[in-house]
Amino acid sequence: MSSSGSVGPKVTQRLKHKLGFKSYEKPKDSTAREQQRKAAQVLDAEGRDVTPRPLCPTFLGVLPLDEIFSSKGSDRSKPTSSFADLLTSSSFLESTSQSSLSPKDSWTKETIDSLTLQDVNPNLPAPYKVPVKINRVEEDLTEDMLDEVVQKVITDRDTLTLLDLSLTHGVSEEAEDSNAVQERNVLYAELCRNRTNNDKYVDGATQTLNGMPKVKKIQTNKNIVVDEGATATNWDLHDSYCEQKKTPEAHEADIQDLTASTGKGQDRTAESISGDTGSTVSSLLEKCEDSFKARPDLEDVLMSDSFKSSLLVMERAVATNVLLAELAAYKNLPVLEDPDRTAEPGFGEQSDEDEEHLSTPTMKHLWVFVCDLTKGYKATSMAWSKKNSNILAVGYIAHDSKNPNPGLICCWSLKNPKWPERVYSCHSDVMSLDFSANNPSQLAVGMKDGSISIYSVNTEGETAFIASSREGSRKHLHPVMQVTWTKHQLKLSEKERQDVLVSVSIDGRITKWFLGGSGLDCIDLMKLKKIYDAKKKAAGGKKVEGNVLVPAIPALCFDFHPTEYGIYLVGTYDGLIHECSVSNNEQFLNTYKHHIGPVNHVEWSPFSPDVFLSCSSDWSMHLWQRGVSAPTMSFRSAYSEVHIAQWSSNSPALFAAIYKQWVEVWDLNSNIMFPTIVHHAAADVELTSLLFARDSDSVLVGDTEGQVTVYKLPNLRVGRTKKVESLDDIIQSVSSHRW
Amino acid sequence: MAEVEETLKRIQSQKGVQGIIVVNSEGIPIKTTLDNSSTVQYAGLIHQLVLKARSTIRDIDPQNDLLFLRVRSKKNEIMIAPDKDYFLIVIQNPSA
Repeated sequence: MSSSGSVGPKVTQRLKHKLGFKSYEKPKDSTAREQQRKAAQVLDAEGRDVTPRPLCPTFLGVLPLDEIFSSKGSDRSKPTSSFADLLTSSSFLESTSQSSLSPKDSWTKETIDSLTLQDVNPNLPAPYKVPVKINRVEEDLTEDMLDEVVQKVITDRDTLTLLDLSLTHGVSEEAEDSNAVQERNVLYAELCRNRTNNDKYVDGATQTLNGMPKVKKIQTNKNIVVDEGATATNWDLHDSYCEQKKTPEAHEADIQDLTASTGKGQDRTAESISGDTGSTVSSLLEKCEDSFKARPDLEDVLMSDSFKSSLLVMERAVATNVLLAELAAYKNLPVLEDPDRTAEPGFGEQSDEDEEHLSTPTMKHLWVFVCDLTKGYKATSMAWSKKNSNILAVGYIAHDSKNPNPGLICCWSLKNPKWPERVYSCHSDVMSLDFSANNPSQLAVGMKDGSISIYSVNTEGETAFIASSREGSRKHLHPVMQVTWTKHQLKLSEKERQDVLVSVSIDGRITKWFLGGSGLDCIDLMKLKKIYDAKKKAAGGKKVEGNVLVPAIPALCFDFHPTEYGIYLVGTYDGLIHECSVSNNEQFLNTYKHHIGPVNHVEWSPFSPDVFLSCSSDWSMHLWQRGVSAPTMSFRSAYSEVHIAQWSSNSPALFAAIYKQWVEVWDLNSNIMFPTIVHHAAADVELTSLLFARDSDSVLVGDTEGQVTVYKLPNLRVGRTKKVESLDDIIQSVSSHRW
Repeated sequence: MAEVEETLKRIQSQKGVQGIIVVNSEGIPIKTTLDNSSTVQYAGLIHQLVLKARSTIRDIDPQNDLLFLRVRSKKNEIMIAPDKDYFLIVIQNPSA
């Protein structure tokens, strides 16, 4: 198109480009042309007229296009229309050549009309107006005008040079070889200049063949795209790894980023982790059985073991929620005030009141272990588990003798007072219970028909029953009053001491039991025989051994010494307390005689060695020292039989006693004459059993309603001197006081 | 089966228990004592919460696992016992 400015400094070439629509010329046009040409003529050597024709004459002033077109409606002719098209479509460049100004003079507005526009490039000085409306043509079209041939020539505009880097040719003047480059440039410029009229160079043209494009269509199946998402978590990887470890040969699996632990180089297909269908578990491995695993439905879920255990935990959680304050009081934990809970009169207020009163401390009722099962029974004995201080075993006797289950054992947990953890029914009334220390799950039960059973509380139902002495040949024939596990003295080290089950019964035998071939078998430790000559002998008395068949004396209770193994006390029906030794089954070591009525309960003090407490149906309790034949202290406060008197396991000088209708708590620190706390039972209810809590200042009281109530003892030393007097000091003071 | 029913009844009869829901592993309630809309709402929301909680525990130590989850709020407490196949949800307001 245009050889526009690459070579030649500062010479803008004129465009000699004409888009002409040359049709035949009319004579009058040629005359106009000749006129034009004569204005400036260049003659060559032979006189030929080689006047360069003007490219595009510049018009002075703004020349709207419509004026060009208005020449007698010449713009209406056909070429005009096409010209108009070209106007709108092509871009007009203005030639800024100076030389075009020369014919300018000959061009005036008048000449426009007369001239054909053959050589005229309608030149538009910038800016030009795009002819919006071509409405100047108002003259009537005549036939002649239509037949006129109007020629329009359109050319490109000159190139406007905005930036000319031709000098530098891309190489900075400061570059090393810029001189060389510039020399070459100069040479090249020379070459180009010489090229134009040189015969050495001939322009030639070629034409390339363009291949015919051909459109070919093809159709494929749509690629189905599915979005899959997965979450890979730490534990998921761990699970997959564990699963894979379990079954290395069972499946073929591809492992992508798990290191192949087998190292056998087997190819493995993908395995998946089964089970969690609804969760966002990502599956690195896929198991084949996944497809076969059915979703667990309602029945499966409800029957599964894990559901049962979940229910258990949940029940406990719910129950402890209800009893939160009470349990906290039991455990001596501070009860945190819940600011959002509706204000309830909590324990805090009551205890404050009590502390102020000081005069009549009372036991606080915490909660009751009761359920539907225990209705119609009375609680007779209680025992804490030696290992887990939350577990309590309670033995019951049915009121109704026609009850098919005359005896009942319930193992309660502190966490759920509404329902026992274990329920066992016995064939006979339960008189006494005790947990073993060595095998913490073993519970020994002594019953009214003289048999002893051992249960394992780990399991429920019938399988818990381990052994019984029912079929034994030498079993007790009379009610077993008490059973206890005690440590045998013959073993050497503490750890090896095994528990031995010892029982005492109304038939006067104290027997040691062990698991024989078929059930329990026993060895008599002691047989109580009536001492005929007790009055005649010395008080510290020896027994009378005779060959006469003497009736046995019912023994009602016994207790082993806490530190000296093998020494035990026996309380008998006739008010004697015998001190015996395991190693000697013939003689008593000592006899303590003071009680008038049957001795219901004896117990060594857990804090002071060789001090024990006894209570009897003669309305009194006595505190004895070992070796001293007369009681050191006596406690008599009410005209009722004392069923049980037990030392507290927390405070050395505290003990409680159960009468038929009330509970007494004696604090020897404060008062040795009267009980510190007296708590009456509800009407129609008799209290039948008592147990101190081991790790808490609480007392459990069982009654004939089958309820076991937990009471919290107030802090009895509040307001008094903080010094805890040991029992020995009290005894000392009492003894010294007496004499 | 009867034992399980009995236990559920006992829990329901405890003081302040508002509802019990058993949800299967996909979040669909299979047993409930609440009305339908509440049940569905609880089931859906708690399902997500438990999954998140379990994921948290196991991310910290993959050998650990979530045993029990209690959410105490102003008005009540939601206790959740999760398992592989089910969630047991109990809503209780102990001071009510």
